[in-house]
Amino acid sequence: MTGYSELRINCLARRDAARPMRHAVAAFLIAAGCVDQETSDDILTAVGEALANAVEHAYDGVEENEVELFARLEHDHTLAVDVFDRGTFIQRAPRAGRGFGMRIVEAIAQAVTINVDDGTHIRMIFNVPHNREDVAS
Amino acid sequence: MNKSIAVIRLTGELEIGRKDEIAAALVVAGSESGILLDFSDVNYADSTSLAELLRFRDEAAKQNVPVAIVIGSKQFARLIQYAGLSHAFRIFDNRAEALMDLSQAGTE
Repeated sequence: MTGYSELRINCLARRDAARPMRHAVAAFLIAAGCVDQETSDDILTAVGEALANAVEHAYDGVEENEVELFARLEHDHTLAVDVFDRGTFIQRAPRAGRGFGMRIVEAIAQAVTINVDDGTHIRMIFNVPHNREDVAS
Repeated sequence: MNKSIAVIRLTGELEIGRKDEIAAALVVAGSESGILLDFSDVNYADSTSLAELLRFRDEAAKQNVPVAIVIGSKQFARLIQYAGLSHAFRIFDNRAEALMDLSQAGTE
């Protein structure tokens, strides 16, 4: 990886929006050519959880708002992924089968920040290999 | 009457967009000697699936029906680890091992 590249997607906040948004991130990682399969799977798992949280919990039945995803591969070999929505973030303790999403995100990402000042903004930072040779090895 | 092992098979991506479908599929009839959840051909799962699996596990436990899960995807297996649920389910790599486990559970 030698340069900067980014991906920005907006979708209506519906349950069926998370899958195509995650697939777009998968294509972005493939195009970047710098992430091995296991790392890609983990990144997509974390991104999928953030998107699921946004579309499931953010709008309380109102569907005319958007979820935005902004991913960028930085020069310092990190991938930053932001997921924005205008809903109210729900942080559940992981019990009774609920609330595992953020636990999973935090287990995968190198850093996670959640800002709820204006809607919900989850930022995830991932380390990625330096170049294609790293993936091949 | 001899009870038999039921097999519930889901494929593809088990994610939030299929939440209702997953919930509808994971039902305990109560007449089974055991239930095999065959996720051999699931290539992605999210925590929506984990929530439904926990609900299903608890429902089966109430009816004393053992449950074994076959997981073929490394992503799904790691999802369970990241959620801290590695010991919450009886997980196997293939159907033969899962069926053997359920057969033995049925004779205990």
